[in-house]
Amino acid sequence: MKKTIAFSVLLLMFFAGLASFKDTPETEALNTVTRQFHLGMEEISEAIALYLAAAQGLSNNEASVKKLRKAHSEARLAFKKIEFLLEYNDRAGVKRTINGPPLPFVEQGIPDVMPIEPVGLQVLDELVAEENPFAEKDEIVRLTRQLTQDFEVMRQFQSKLKMTHRHIFEAMQQEVVRVFTLGLTGFDTPGTLHALPEAKAAFEGMEAAISAYLPIIESKDRGLAIILDARFDHTIRHLGQSKSFDTFDRLDFLTKHIDPLYELLYQVQRVLGVETSLETSPMPQPVNQAAHSLFDERFLNVGFYAKVDVQHPQFEKRVALGRMLFFDPILSSNHERACASCHQPEKAFTDGLSKSLATEGQGHIKRNAPTLLNCVFSESFFYDLRERQLSRQILHVVVDSLEFSTTYPIIIEKLNQSGLYKKMFRDAYSDNPQYSLSAYSISDALASYVASLNAFNSPFDRFVRGDTAYLDPAAYRGFNLFMGKANCGICHFAPVFNGTVPPLYTESESEVLGVPLRPDTLNAPLDPDLGRFDSGKPRDKAPFFKHSFKTPTVRNVALTAPYMHNGVYQTLEEVIDFYNRGGGAGIGIQLSHQTLPDAPLQLSPQEQRDLIAFLHSLTDNPSHLQIRPDSLPLFEGKPEWNRRKVGGDY
Amino acid sequence: MLAALFFGAANVNAQKLFDNEIQIPAGYQPVEVVLPPSPLSLQVLFVGGTDLVQTTPTYGNPAGQQVAKEWHDFIGFTPDNTGQSLGWVTVNHEMIFSDDKLGDGGGMTVFRVKRAADGSLEIVDQTLADGRSGRFFNVDFANTVGETGMNCGGISSQVDGRIWTAEEWFRSNNASIASGVRDTTDFTVNSDIPGWNGVKLKKFQNFNWMVEIDPREAKAIRKQYNWGRQPFEGGVIEPSNRLVYLGPDDTPGFLGMFVSNTPGDFNKGTLFVYKHDKPGYNWVPIWEDGSMLEHKKFATQKGATMFNRIEWVTMDKLNNVYFTETGLDKPGNAWADENALGAVHDPYHVQRAQALGFTSPNDPNYPDYYGRIWKYDPVKDTCTVYLEGGPALSSSPSEADYPEVHLSNPDGLTIVNIGDKQYLLIQEDLNGSSFGRMPSGAPLIICEAFLLDLSIQNPTLNDLIRLTATPVGAEITGAIQTSDGKSILINSQHPNTNNPFPYNHSLTFAINGLDKVNPNDLKKPKAFDRVEMASEANADAFTVYPNPTARMVYMNQVTDVAIFDSNGKRVMVRRNTSEVDVSALTAGVYYIQNAQGSILKLVIQ
Repeated sequence: MKKTIAFSVLLLMFFAGLASFKDTPETEALNTVTRQFHLGMEEISEAIALYLAAAQGLSNNEASVKKLRKAHSEARLAFKKIEFLLEYNDRAGVKRTINGPPLPFVEQGIPDVMPIEPVGLQVLDELVAEENPFAEKDEIVRLTRQLTQDFEVMRQFQSKLKMTHRHIFEAMQQEVVRVFTLGLTGFDTPGTLHALPEAKAAFEGMEAAISAYLPIIESKDRGLAIILDARFDHTIRHLGQSKSFDTFDRLDFLTKHIDPLYELLYQVQRVLGVETSLETSPMPQPVNQAAHSLFDERFLNVGFYAKVDVQHPQFEKRVALGRMLFFDPILSSNHERACASCHQPEKAFTDGLSKSLATEGQGHIKRNAPTLLNCVFSESFFYDLRERQLSRQILHVVVDSLEFSTTYPIIIEKLNQSGLYKKMFRDAYSDNPQYSLSAYSISDALASYVASLNAFNSPFDRFVRGDTAYLDPAAYRGFNLFMGKANCGICHFAPVFNGTVPPLYTESESEVLGVPLRPDTLNAPLDPDLGRFDSGKPRDKAPFFKHSFKTPTVRNVALTAPYMHNGVYQTLEEVIDFYNRGGGAGIGIQLSHQTLPDAPLQLSPQEQRDLIAFLHSLTDNPSHLQIRPDSLPLFEGKPEWNRRKVGGDY
Repeated sequence: MLAALFFGAANVNAQKLFDNEIQIPAGYQPVEVVLPPSPLSLQVLFVGGTDLVQTTPTYGNPAGQQVAKEWHDFIGFTPDNTGQSLGWVTVNHEMIFSDDKLGDGGGMTVFRVKRAADGSLEIVDQTLADGRSGRFFNVDFANTVGETGMNCGGISSQVDGRIWTAEEWFRSNNASIASGVRDTTDFTVNSDIPGWNGVKLKKFQNFNWMVEIDPREAKAIRKQYNWGRQPFEGGVIEPSNRLVYLGPDDTPGFLGMFVSNTPGDFNKGTLFVYKHDKPGYNWVPIWEDGSMLEHKKFATQKGATMFNRIEWVTMDKLNNVYFTETGLDKPGNAWADENALGAVHDPYHVQRAQALGFTSPNDPNYPDYYGRIWKYDPVKDTCTVYLEGGPALSSSPSEADYPEVHLSNPDGLTIVNIGDKQYLLIQEDLNGSSFGRMPSGAPLIICEAFLLDLSIQNPTLNDLIRLTATPVGAEITGAIQTSDGKSILINSQHPNTNNPFPYNHSLTFAINGLDKVNPNDLKKPKAFDRVEMASEANADAFTVYPNPTARMVYMNQVTDVAIFDSNGKRVMVRRNTSEVDVSALTAGVYYIQNAQGSILKLVIQ
C-alpha cells in the first residue's frame, strides 16, 4: 500500500506541474480533486483485489482469518476516503452494488415483483465479523468476486464523469451528514462496528479535497481558510483519539464538529461563488444547504415533502382552512368523526388508544394513530407506506368504511351549502376558481395544515443548536446510546428520528421487528397484520415485506402512548425492553426476515432509563398548535348539521 | 494505472467560477438578443383525482359522479367523422384501487373535444345513450367485460380511432389482485369471440388482456381473448386494418402480431410471435389449444425471439414498426430459463453481451441500464436497433456531451407530424437513477421526452430534440397527436414535486399550436450545433441564437454559462454546454455570461 501512495504522490506532482501552465487556480483545484478521485478508485480496486485473494486463501486458522478481516477493513477504508464523491455521483449504484444495506429489495420500475439479494461491503461486514468466517468461505469468496466485478463497472463509469466545483462541495456537505447519521451509528458496519476509523478516513478524504481549494479560499477570505483548515484537522485528530464505539460522545461530536463543518462548507461554497443546485436545476431540494445545524428547523424543506406550494401567497389562508376542516366532523358520513378525533392536538395529534375507534362504533380500525407532528418529512405515508403524496393520503380516510365512509363528491356537495366555507375556499384558492371547492382544494388545504404541524424546539433541539447550555445528563447519555450502542439511530435517522434515510432524505424505510399481538415476553404470538405486504402497491408483494412497518418519528413519543402499529405497548419501558431483547426474536417470534438485529442489546437498567430520558427530551407539542377552533362554519339551510361538535363527538 | 490517470487528466476542462452578482457598468451597452414567445401553448384538459366523472350503476350503487382515478398513462384519440366535434379522448388510469362507483382495479376516462376559434381545445358536454350526461365519463368495465387492472398503454387505431386499453401488471393468482379487486369469484366470459363465450376463468385470469372500449358510449366492448394473455403495454394497427403489432412488457417479452381474416374484424384471425431465425417469414403462429391463457409458455416453446421489456409500439408512413425495449438492469436471470426452454436471443443482445465481456445475455451481470428503440422493417421482415440508449460514456453519448445528451429507458413512443416531417416522440420512464440515468447529485428521478426526426439516416443521441414545453418534473406519457395535427395530447403521470396545482396532479394536457411550428425551428441551426462547431479556441465572439419553439438559447461555443436577472443576481449556471433551456425563467430582462466573461443581454418575452 505504502509504495502505491508514494508513487501516486509523485504522479500527482507531475500532473500538478503540467496543469499549472495554463489553468486558473480554480481549474487547477478541480483537476487536483478529480485526480485524487481517480487515484482513490485505483486504491479501492487494489484493496478489493487483495480482499478477494484473502478470501480465496481463507483457511481454518486464526492468522488467515485475521488477514481476511484486515483486507476487509482496508477495502472499506479505501472506499470511505472517496465515499463522498462515489455516493454523490451515483448513489443508487453504490447502494445496489458496493455499500448497500444487507437486506433484500425489489427491482424498481418493472411490472413484476423481482426480489434481489443484497451484495457488497455491508453483507461482507456481517460475515467477516462472525466468530468463524471460515464456515462462510464460499459466500465470502462469491461476494468479494462480485464486488470486484461491480466496482470495476462503477469505476469505468465514474472515471468518465465530469465533476464540477458544485459537485464537490455538495458531496462534502452530504458526507458530513452521512458520517454522523449513518457511519457513526454503525449503520454500514453492522458486524465490525469499525465506525470510528471509517469516519476518520472519510474526513481525511475530504480534507485532501479541501486542501486543493485552500489557496483560492484564502485569496478571498483568509480567516475562513484558516478556520476551515483548523476544523478539519481538529475533527480528524479527535476521531483518531477516540477508541470505543460504545463510549464515543456523539452529541459532543455533533455540536463541536458536525454542525460547524456543515455550516462552514456552505459558507465556503458561497464565498467561492460556486453555484448551488437551486441555480442548476428547477427541481425542489429536500435538504437546505444553508441550515446552521442538522437540528435547525430549516434543515429539511417542508415544501419538498408536502408537495404543496408553501411559498404560495395564499399558503397561510390554506393552512387556516385546512385547520378548520381538520376539526370539522362534516367530512365524515355521520358528522361525528373529524380528523381530530384520532389526531387530538393535546396528545401530540394521537388518540391515546391502541387502535383508533371506528365510525358508528364498529370497534376499531386496523392500526394505531401516529402523531402528525413532523409527519410531513416522509416520502411515503401510512404504516404500510401505501401513499406517496400527503394530499392524497386524505383520500384513504375519506373512503374507508371504518373512517369517514364517504366520497369527495358528497363532501363537496355539503361544503357548498355553507356560505362561510364557500368564502374560505374562494379566498384561499382564487387562482383556480374552477377548482376552488374540489377534491384538490380540500385535500390541499388539509395537507397544507398537516405540513404546518412542525416542531423542532424540544429541549434537545435547543441544546444542540446552542440556544440553551443545559440538557438533562440522563438525556445526554441517552442520545449517545440511541445513536450508538442501543442501535436506535440506524433506523430512526437524525434529525427527525424517523425512517427517512439520510443524507438525501428522499426515501422512507419500513422494518420487520416481530411486534407481538400481546405484550408477552415468552412465546409471544406474532401480530397477524402483514403491513407493507398488504399495502395494495403491487411491488410490495414480496415475502420480506410481510409484517414490515414504516419507521415513525420518536419525537414527542412521551405524549403518544400506546406504541407500535398495533399499540401493543403502553409504556416506553415496555418498548425499550422489547428492543433490548432483540425484538420478536427475543420473545419467541421467529421471523426469518426480521430486519431488526436479533441480538439482545445488553442495555443495563440505567441505560434503559437514560434512553427514555432522551426520548422525553424530544417533547415539543407547541401550545399554538394545540388550539382548537372556537366554532365551526354554519350551514344556513341545515340546522341539524350545526349541532356538530368541534373535533367530532368521539 | 497510468492510462487511467492520463484519461482522467484529459477529462477535466476549465471551469469558471462566476460571481454571485454582477454589476453592469454605467454606459455599457451589451448586445441584446430577444427570445420571442413560443408559438406553442399549454392547456390543461383533465385533472386526475379532482375532476368529476359520470358513473354507471355499479356494485349496487346508482349512477352518479365520482372523483376520477389517477396515474394517467395512455391516451387514445378517436376522430369524429360527423364534423360535430374534433373527437373523443380516452385516458388510461394505471393503478389498482377499489372504488364503489368507478369499479375496482384500474380504469379509463373519456371526454369529447372540439377545436375552439383561438386554437385551443374545448371539452364538449355530452349525453350518452345510457343517460349519463356531463363532461368526463368513467369507462364502464365492471358491468361489461369485468374489471381491468394497471391500464398502461394501449392502441389507438390510425385507421378509424378504435381504442384498446392494455392491462400490463401480470397477475398469477387471486391473492395478487385482492388488494385492489374485491370480487375474486370465478368469472364467466360473455364474448363474441369464437370459442370464448361461457368460458369460466379464475378471476385473475380475466386480467392482462388488450381490452377494446367504445369511446363514444364510455363502456368496454370486449377483452381480446384471442390476442393472448400477456403483460401488454402497447400496440399498433397497420393501415390495411388487418395486422396488429403487440408489445408485452416482460423479460422476456415477445413481439407479437395478430393477423385478422378480414380487415377490421379482430375476433377472427391468427396470433404470431417474432422469431428472427425462422426460415421464411420470421413469424411463428401460436394457435394451440390453451395457448391464449399461457402465451409466454407457448411462445417460449416455439423459440420466439426475446426482448427485454417491450413497451410502446408505433408505425411510420412506410409501415415501419418502431418499439421501445425499455430494459431491465440485469435481465440475465430473467430470461435464462426461457432461453433454456427454446426461446432465442436476438443477435444484437448476443453481440452486445460479448462486447461487454460476457459469454451470453444470460449472464447475471449482463447489464441493460438504458434500453433502446427497435425498428421492424416489414419489407426486410427483420428487427434492428434504431437508437441505443445511454450514457454508456465511452460510446453513446460521448462523455463531453453528457448530461446534455442522454436517453434512458425509453417507454412511450408515438409518431408526430409537423409540417411535412414525421418525428418519433420518445418518452422516458427511468428504471433507476444509477449509472448516469440521472446527473450527479440529483435528489429525484426526472423523466424527459424527446423528438427525433425520422428522416435522419442512422440517428444518434445527438439528434434528439428535448421537449421543454412541459411542466417541471412531469413524467410525460401517452402522447398522441390530434387528427387535425394542431395539438399533442400528453399525460403527466405522477409528478412527485411541489409544482403549483394542477401540475402536482396526474394530468392530461394539450400542447397547442403545432401547426404554427416550422420544423426547421425544432433543431438548432448548423452553425450552433456542437458537432459542427469548431473547437473552443477557434470560436468566434460569443453569440447566441434564441429558439422560441424549443425555449432554448443556443450558443456558438461549448462553454460554462451563467444567467443573471435584471438586478444582476445570478439565477442559473450551466456548465460544459452549448445550449440552455430557459423555459423555467419568467419573461423579463436577463444577462448571459460565458466562461470568457462576455456578457449579452437576453430579453425573454
